[in-house]
Amino acid sequence: MHIDFYYLAVTTVTLASIYGLLAVGISIIWSSLGMINMAHGFTFAVSGYGAWLVAQNISTNGVVVLAGGVLTGMLSGAVIGGLAFVPLYDKPNFAVRSLIATLAIALFGSQCLLWAFGPRVKALPPIFPTGGFKFGTASVSYDRLGAIVCSIVLLLAMLAWMKRSRRGLEIRAMMQNPEGAALVGVGLRSTAIAVMMVTGGLAGLAAVLLSRTYFVSPFAGAIPLVKGIIVALAGGLGSLAGALIAAALLGLVEALTAVGLGGRFVLITQFLVIIIILLIRPRGIAGMLERTRE
Amino acid sequence: MSAFIQSNKAAAEGPSLIGRRRLLPRLRSHGGALWRRWRYPFTRRTPLLIETAYNPKTLAAEKEIVDKRPLYWIAGLLVLLVVPPVFGDNSFLSAATVFAIYAAINIVWMLMIGTAGIFSLATLAVVGAAAYTVSYISIHTGLPWWGMIAVSPLVGLLFGVLIAIPAIRLEGFYYALLTVGIADLCREFVLQTQALGAASYGLYGADTYVPKGISERGGLLLSFYAAFVVMLAALALYRMVNGQRLGLLLRTAPEGQEAFAAALGINYRAARIQVFLISSAALGAIGGFYATYFKGASPALFTMDSLLLLLAMIVIGGIGTAEGAVVGTLIVVLFDRVFIGLGPVRLIIIAMIMFGTVLFLRRGLFGIAPQFRAWRDKRRSERRALRTGEGDDIMPEDATQIADKQAIYTQRFDKQLREELKKLVTDELIAEHRRTDGGRRSDALERILTFFRRAEVAGKYAILAEKPFAAYRIVALSGKRGMPPRLVDDQVFATQEEAQHGVFLKRIRDLLDS
Repeated sequence: MHIDFYYLAVTTVTLASIYGLLAVGISIIWSSLGMINMAHGFTFAVSGYGAWLVAQNISTNGVVVLAGGVLTGMLSGAVIGGLAFVPLYDKPNFAVRSLIATLAIALFGSQCLLWAFGPRVKALPPIFPTGGFKFGTASVSYDRLGAIVCSIVLLLAMLAWMKRSRRGLEIRAMMQNPEGAALVGVGLRSTAIAVMMVTGGLAGLAAVLLSRTYFVSPFAGAIPLVKGIIVALAGGLGSLAGALIAAALLGLVEALTAVGLGGRFVLITQFLVIIIILLIRPRGIAGMLERTRE
Repeated sequence: MSAFIQSNKAAAEGPSLIGRRRLLPRLRSHGGALWRRWRYPFTRRTPLLIETAYNPKTLAAEKEIVDKRPLYWIAGLLVLLVVPPVFGDNSFLSAATVFAIYAAINIVWMLMIGTAGIFSLATLAVVGAAAYTVSYISIHTGLPWWGMIAVSPLVGLLFGVLIAIPAIRLEGFYYALLTVGIADLCREFVLQTQALGAASYGLYGADTYVPKGISERGGLLLSFYAAFVVMLAALALYRMVNGQRLGLLLRTAPEGQEAFAAALGINYRAARIQVFLISSAALGAIGGFYATYFKGASPALFTMDSLLLLLAMIVIGGIGTAEGAVVGTLIVVLFDRVFIGLGPVRLIIIAMIMFGTVLFLRRGLFGIAPQFRAWRDKRRSERRALRTGEGDDIMPEDATQIADKQAIYTQRFDKQLREELKKLVTDELIAEHRRTDGGRRSDALERILTFFRRAEVAGKYAILAEKPFAAYRIVALSGKRGMPPRLVDDQVFATQEEAQHGVFLKRIRDLLDS
């Protein structure tokens, strides 16, 4: 069987960058807040609506729509943090309770969206110009290129921010030891809200970039959430490097499966890979790289 | 017939002095011996835990039901059995059937989460896999409904083995999230496979246990009773697994304390997997029943929303108890199926109940009582820490431990009296005491002096004449025979009147300090 290398590379990079955006968000939230954010999919959906409202009422300019999605995502993240983390983080049984709280927020939010906007899907205006160019034997549309570039730039920007800024230092302190961070004066609540806003912004970006694949609808977040979770899981919850490696690996698996076996088998092969990874390394790929939150 | 006597099991603070105590009804007639002779079949358990005692005054035999939960269970199940067929219309009856099926699923799920401690979210995936498999077999080979129900536990067991493999290595959230993915995988697989009715959105046409010629109402009634029997079977299974050897083994190995169980020689991993497989087989059986009830299966079983509703059910009731599973299911199904006219709002209400539950309650509705008791004890100890001083009121908790209740009342009366007398003390009063030695005194001063004279001998002030008519000092009596009084301070008074006033001032100071 002939496998087109260029096509494979382009597909892998596209999928990896998108998965990376979602998985990194889930992973950071888990490691710094100790919370599985099941409402990440809701942030994804609501950001789509935010971008759609911006496109309807303000401007259809790509940058403005993108900004609208990111801002809505940040707002949604802050609200989720305020509802699920702030009142619960010092209560007994926090991990399970926050998981359920975020699930409740997801249910509440998606039903509210359904109530407010109806079940019909909405389409966002094109963000990048139509057309494309040839990369080797594969054709790359500007839309795809824009998605890749945007997500890589934002991921790198976020990594640099985590490494260099004061807030990033606080977040890393909270990842290593929340109690110790609190003792040396890191405000857990404000840091948590900052984390939720940043990851919410990433999810909002992903929502707008993916609006060609997952149209804006109340339940659009479910599939990206599941993909983000399994990628974060394979990478090892709490590890950025692990999440990125897993995103690349699973993107490659998906591209290979789609080319070799057909799109129907994508989830099955992905799952087989993940289960094999987890059976060998119960704490994901990062189990080999670094210590993660227990 | 039943005499209420006070039992000091819980002494709560209340309006009465020594605290409000919980009243437990004591039943008369014969003791608990009759009940102790009865057993649940194949167990050593008595139907009711009954304590027998003889009334200390009348010497009559009395018994007290220590654990009334079996009675509540019977009453609750009777209500559930009687209300839908008698008072419900057809849609209410089908909602009740759905309730019974979901309650059965949740009870078995509780075995996985609560007893085995494996946080699997692929419950509906097991049910759905069994339902799909037996529907497929029934449609293609004409398998009758009893055959479907007989095959389905095997399917559930097989599926359970598959999803139990990762559970050997993974723990906690890793496993929970993986099972979310497994459910999604099932949904995707079903939606994309033509043979499983991808196009028609569901696989229908399987055999059903409802006979052909029966009326609509009759069919609904039959379905409801059958589903109720399934729920009872799930409860019996819960009881058999959780209440017997396996449950006991696993209770020694809760999350985080596995090492202790292992040190005792308990193979908790094997026990967990065993419970998981038993539950999977049971879920498969429920899936088979589901398929015979709905005449097939739909991909909705695998969606995130169904999982969310199911989770809402067990979270609202409280994770870890069968009654929590049943009551949580009742609440959610009531909103989801009976108040269907509300539209999307009903799911919003369910989400709000779920959110409120995790925000305020540690273990759901059935955890309210212990949580309230813990909160009350905390508040009580805080208040006690603020309020314990010499000569103060005796706290209700301490009062229960003092046999002589008269002492409690005396102390309380004394405190009130002192509070009252403190208000009478003024500069004029003290001046009056100095001025009117031996003469007529005002009522206020007399009251205070009477109170001072009544004080007990130990610690009472007296005057010691070191040199008569020249040097007087104040001493405090020991109150014990043979033990001399002690000097209070080094103040020396020239006259007896001055010394008497000095004693008065000391007593006034003690009164105001108390």
